[in-house]
Amino acid sequence: MKSISSLLLLPLVLAAKPPQERLAELAQKNNGVIPLDATTFELITGPKRTWSASIQLTAMDPRRRCGPCKEFDPSWKTVAEAWSTVPAKHRDTHFFGTLDFDNAQAVFQKLNLATAPVVMIYPATEGPRQLASGKTGPSKYEFSQGFDPLPLAQHLNSHTPVPIPFKAPIDWNKYATIAFGFLAFATFLRYAQPVLQSRFTWGIITVISIVVFTSGFMFNRIRNTPWAGPKGASVAAGFQTQYAQETQMVGMIYGTLAASFAMLIFVTPYTKSSSRQRVQVYIWNAVIIIVYSILVSLFKIKNKAYPFKLFL
Amino acid sequence: MSTAYALPKDLSRATVVNTASLIRIVALSLISGAAIASRLFAVINFESIIHEFDPWFNYRATRVLASKGFYEFWNWFDPTAWYPLGRVVGGTIYPGLMATSGVIYNVLHYFNLPVDIRNICVLLAPGFSALTAWATYMFTKELKDESAGLLAAAFIGIVPGYISRSVAGSYDNEAIAIFLLMFTFYLWIKALKAGSAFFGTCAAVFYFYMVAAWGGYAFITNMIPVHAMVLILMGRYSSRLYVAYSSWYAVGTLSSMQVPFVGFQPVRTSEHMAALGVFGLLQIIAFAQLVRSHVSSKQFNNLLFYGVIVLGVGGVGAVVGLTYAGWIAPWTGRFYSLWDTGYAKKYIPIIASVSEHQPTAWPSFFMDLQLLVFLFPAGVVLCFKELRDEHVFVIIYAIVASYFAGVMVRLMLTLTPCVCVASAIALSTLMDTYIDPVQPEADEDETAQSDAGDSVSGSSATGSISGAAPKKAKKLAAAAVAAPPSANPLAELVGAATGGPRMKKGVWGFDTRFTVLLHTFGMLAFFVMHCTYVTSSAYSSPSVVLASTSPDGSPHIIDDFREAYYWLRQNTKEDAVVMSWWDYGYQIAGMADRPTLVDNNTWNNTHIATVGKAMSSSEEVAYPILRAHDVDYVLVIFGGLLGYSGDDINKFLWMIRIAQGVWPEEVQEANYFTPGGEYRVDERASKIMKESLMYKMSYYRFTELYGANPAQDRVRQQTIPKPSPTLDYLDEAFTSENWIVRIYQVKKEDHLGRDIKSANAFEGGKKRKRGRPAVGRRRAMQ
Amino acid sequence: MRSFSLLTALVLGLSAFVRAKSSQGDDVLVILDPKLNRDDYSLFFGGLEKDGYSLTFRAPKDVKPKIIKDDVPSFSHVILFTPETKGYASDITPQSLIHLLSLSTNLLITSSPKQTLLTALSSEFSLIPAPPSSPLLSHFPARSDPPTLLPIPVPDPIDPKSEYADHPLAIPPICSPHTKAVWYEGTAWALGNNPLLFPILRAPKESFVSDASGDEGAEGVVDAAEKGGEGLWAGSSLAVAAGFQTREGARVVWVGGVEVFSDRLAAKEIAPGVPSGNTRFTRDIAAWAFQESLVLRISHISHHLASSPPLVGSNTTNLPTQYTTNDKLTYTAHISIYNPSSSTWTPHVSLPSPQMAFTMLDPHILTTLSHSPSHAGTYTTTFRAPDRHGVFKFVLDYRRKGWTWLKSEEKVAVVPPRHDGYPRFLSAAWPYYAGAVSTSVGFVLFVVVWLSGEGRETRKKAE
Repeated sequence: MKSISSLLLLPLVLAAKPPQERLAELAQKNNGVIPLDATTFELITGPKRTWSASIQLTAMDPRRRCGPCKEFDPSWKTVAEAWSTVPAKHRDTHFFGTLDFDNAQAVFQKLNLATAPVVMIYPATEGPRQLASGKTGPSKYEFSQGFDPLPLAQHLNSHTPVPIPFKAPIDWNKYATIAFGFLAFATFLRYAQPVLQSRFTWGIITVISIVVFTSGFMFNRIRNTPWAGPKGASVAAGFQTQYAQETQMVGMIYGTLAASFAMLIFVTPYTKSSSRQRVQVYIWNAVIIIVYSILVSLFKIKNKAYPFKLFL
Repeated sequence: MSTAYALPKDLSRATVVNTASLIRIVALSLISGAAIASRLFAVINFESIIHEFDPWFNYRATRVLASKGFYEFWNWFDPTAWYPLGRVVGGTIYPGLMATSGVIYNVLHYFNLPVDIRNICVLLAPGFSALTAWATYMFTKELKDESAGLLAAAFIGIVPGYISRSVAGSYDNEAIAIFLLMFTFYLWIKALKAGSAFFGTCAAVFYFYMVAAWGGYAFITNMIPVHAMVLILMGRYSSRLYVAYSSWYAVGTLSSMQVPFVGFQPVRTSEHMAALGVFGLLQIIAFAQLVRSHVSSKQFNNLLFYGVIVLGVGGVGAVVGLTYAGWIAPWTGRFYSLWDTGYAKKYIPIIASVSEHQPTAWPSFFMDLQLLVFLFPAGVVLCFKELRDEHVFVIIYAIVASYFAGVMVRLMLTLTPCVCVASAIALSTLMDTYIDPVQPEADEDETAQSDAGDSVSGSSATGSISGAAPKKAKKLAAAAVAAPPSANPLAELVGAATGGPRMKKGVWGFDTRFTVLLHTFGMLAFFVMHCTYVTSSAYSSPSVVLASTSPDGSPHIIDDFREAYYWLRQNTKEDAVVMSWWDYGYQIAGMADRPTLVDNNTWNNTHIATVGKAMSSSEEVAYPILRAHDVDYVLVIFGGLLGYSGDDINKFLWMIRIAQGVWPEEVQEANYFTPGGEYRVDERASKIMKESLMYKMSYYRFTELYGANPAQDRVRQQTIPKPSPTLDYLDEAFTSENWIVRIYQVKKEDHLGRDIKSANAFEGGKKRKRGRPAVGRRRAMQ
Repeated sequence: MRSFSLLTALVLGLSAFVRAKSSQGDDVLVILDPKLNRDDYSLFFGGLEKDGYSLTFRAPKDVKPKIIKDDVPSFSHVILFTPETKGYASDITPQSLIHLLSLSTNLLITSSPKQTLLTALSSEFSLIPAPPSSPLLSHFPARSDPPTLLPIPVPDPIDPKSEYADHPLAIPPICSPHTKAVWYEGTAWALGNNPLLFPILRAPKESFVSDASGDEGAEGVVDAAEKGGEGLWAGSSLAVAAGFQTREGARVVWVGGVEVFSDRLAAKEIAPGVPSGNTRFTRDIAAWAFQESLVLRISHISHHLASSPPLVGSNTTNLPTQYTTNDKLTYTAHISIYNPSSSTWTPHVSLPSPQMAFTMLDPHILTTLSHSPSHAGTYTTTFRAPDRHGVFKFVLDYRRKGWTWLKSEEKVAVVPPRHDGYPRFLSAAWPYYAGAVSTSVGFVLFVVVWLSGEGRETRKKAE
């Protein structure tokens, strides 16, 4: 709402006034972030600027379907807000601006940007804050450390006259959830003590986690691999890669095999009648052989050179 | 009672026992033989040569140890490494490996067996693998019985997961570390069982050996405390635990601090705090128990109980406080990156760049463990069945190790022994059950009262369960009995797992036994074939010498590395400094015997970043760096001609990233990609990429090979644009047969003080345009 | 018989009198343009021969003798009296001449206003040649000679010990003091900013370079300068003779005109009754070019622990290869100067402020070597090695214009103390010693008490 009104005000604001003051006013109006369009963009990145500016080029319009933009925008706002708290004489020498794709497509074409969000940092070209290196061209902020506000602030500190007084906001609800979870856990302990003290529970947990780990779960976590490949390919070619789907298949297979062995060990011998026992023995053996040969053939897909195969 | 098959009647008990032990011995020796033999593929297919990278340093260090003696080795300062910083080798390595082979060497020579130190180094790993098999046997024996032990030994002997790090020639710390790991664990279990300070001390001694041998000792340092902690939480505190742990910790820590590289870490770093904390907790509990045994007042006991808790919390708080105060170093990056898996990639690119620090995909699990990978869970279930202290240990080991193995490929090594043990237990239980000739009678009512436990396992379970476990067990068991057993096999499983009422167990008939055993043996045979195949094909190549098959199918050896290194050794000055990416530092030092800027002991990020910057920037920028470091030769690995994918162009991005970490202004990763964000080397490659020293050195004169045809890079599958890049500040000094190694000589400054570019232009016969006097100069002259 | 002995005596006497003066060798190749008459330069050549140089003459077009044979220079010095020659034999090219320098052969090159191969070559020495066919000319002092033939006063060299000696504009003491002015005819160069290059003789302030051999040229020059197109080709910023010393120490002298060497100008009076300084000047620059004057060398370097001075007569072969951090080190350099009159190396006692840097990547220590009066020509310093291990270099790098460059680098490893090299007992650690001792004593006592207690109980039981 506020930004819209300021956009309406823009022409009035752009009445005669030295550009720096205008920008300062705009910045104050929209707590720190100047909503830019083509003209104001020209103004803020004018060739004779005694100020430096960092500009977020984004596409917030839902039609653009720019997930990262939405993800990044709040951090941008928080950092800019933090900057707006520094004393005016520093504050008005560095500006934060946001240029939306739908307000100035021309600018995007001029900078030939195909992606968003992008953060451009324009150093001062004149005056005391001119760079020692004499560099006047803009530099880009790489999102190498994600969209979090902290790395952004740290990066911008090297461009602002004084470091941005940004502190990572205390995430209350996180702490709340932790505390609550802790309490819940405690009460859970209180009541579910017998369950927790049964080796059965622990056995299940252990075995499941082991199977999950040994079927490459952590690989998916770290590389956050896709669920399935392009056009629904379920198995990633190549020995060092995998899709999340495979982990589940393999996990199933391991589970089945382990289970059937456990059956052969624990259940079958305790069966009371020889006939039922015999049936069980044959069933489990069959299961093991079949599933195992499935596993091997699956492995053959991953490792073409593998020479062995079972019945499948 | 009836038996499934006829048993010989006329055997005295003694005979059986003796035969069994004899067979055990024979089996063990055969297993050792198999373990050693299957690791000799590398020697047979290639030759008796040191493998890969780190082993070359260990080998070099061992030579120093063998020739100069231990004290000189301890004080060894290597001025040729990390030129010009040098490296204090004595204080920055785990000397266990070198010391071991040094001792072997001296012993052999004492007996006038003139064995070359190289052969000792090459064959150390197989030798120790035999010992590992034995240690695993002992360990498993403590868990179940000899038969399981033999199976475990056989598994660990040939399982690829362990062979991958211990083939003949891979002379690395892991070669002996796994043996020490298993044996320390065995001794710990032993000490815990018997509550003997003697075994505790033995465990400490081997722990010390482990600390001296491998950085992975932190695994033991944390496994044992966790085990103790869990036991306490399970209410299984006992004086045995107290004695075993205290003796292990006290002796082990003090002795481990004698290793120069470890020094005061055991009391100053977070990795070791768990051990310290548990030690303290044990003292408190022991004290509490003492008082409790003397005082009988209920409230006082409660008071004590809470006191213990408060003290424990306070201890933890103190540790945390000290960490913040800086007295205790927080977790080192390498260790931390195990938990926060994104950490290394963000902050320690060097660690992330190492291939064996990548997460493990499931195929490598199957490749390394094959059928063990699913016998493993079954074995863990069995451990739960009879939950003695040592089984708790195996369970914890299983969970922790499988997590680590999932995070880092190289930690598969620590998982393997546990897998072997667990699956051996599972398999031997299976075979016990189905080989056992005794058949039960089929009628139902007998099962009710016959509780006499003639079962193979389970009877011992009740012994060590304490606290609230039995109540629960009873409940479940009751449920199990109530429900008709066959109707609900799960309930039976529960009953079995929780060691409830032992119903008569047994197998009828011969065919069932035969089927199960047959298909078990079939799988084992398959396992053996798999292991042999994987070992011979995947894990036995010394990456120094490459093998390929020529068109007619005959094997063809590619020996470029040694060719190049020997060229350096024979054609360059003694103190000529060679710059290469750090992967090849150890090999250059070991084979070419020349000073290097950086090597595989990546202790100085800035120095590595300097090399990265030189490689990734243009000649004009790189030249001053090279001169400042007295670099005479630059060595690059280039696989484009042969299709050797592990070359420097593929590692180039890491050089850039590491350099960018130190000079974010001057080196930017984005500049090396095409506008479309691709990493290319053909004509679409970015300008900066094409001007980088690495690119130029790799593709210098490459297109000339192909004449008119397009020059195809076989690794990137891209055509290199003509003309080839030109070099002004470097001269091509040597290029190996298949172009894998290319060595360039750095030019000296021009003797007329011109910049080398224009000097070359002049040599090329180009005229330079006439200069004119600077007008400003006039004032200077007045 | 006697006559023969006389003869031999004579020969011996001659040979004794005729001795090589250069520190490098005395065979000189003179490449003489056919247009020039050798006898016109008899004074110069004669002077060289008198001093024992053996001159070999060759025309530019001749193929023999080659200047480089099998990549070995055939002569130790080469004089090019080919100011206007266009064509040379195949073995003389700018490249080959510069290659000759890298083989540490010295050159004496004469140029001229004409555009030749040498003009192109000169720019490689960052000499900036004047526009073609425009000689140096001056109208002062007023004289009857054409303005292109002008007298140039030779400056007295600055005393090397004076503070101005190292001034970038200082002229090294190549010309002997009180040399009369020389008659000069030829071109002049502006000097690029190459530290290896320095002027030997500067053009007079009033002189300028112009293609017109008349007055009207003067304004042209100024206009050109003001337009900034051409620089200012006038004044003492130009040099008529320049010296150049390569990094390896080979020397080149560029002279803007060959006539300076001629007998005609040598005989010509500079002032009534005063002969010109040409003879002396030319001999001086030849002496410098041929490594007679201002030639230094490092006889040998030695370094050792200050505490343990090495045995007398120890040479550089058995120097220590490693020191420990914080050692006190002594570094000594023996520097000698070549004495052309006796053609011997004598200790150099008056080297102004030579410096030594103890360097790893950056100089960690930079100190001035002081001359030890006890041993003439030895410059030494003692310092504490930095508390930093690594491969350090003793770097002695003495560069003065005109003088031979002294450069020596000695690699040495500075290592941390041995494991038993640290102090064994620390006063700060007494609490720990006390703790250890008390604990063990306590343990012994405990055991004693315990055992005795056991004993008593058993005895009680026995009773």
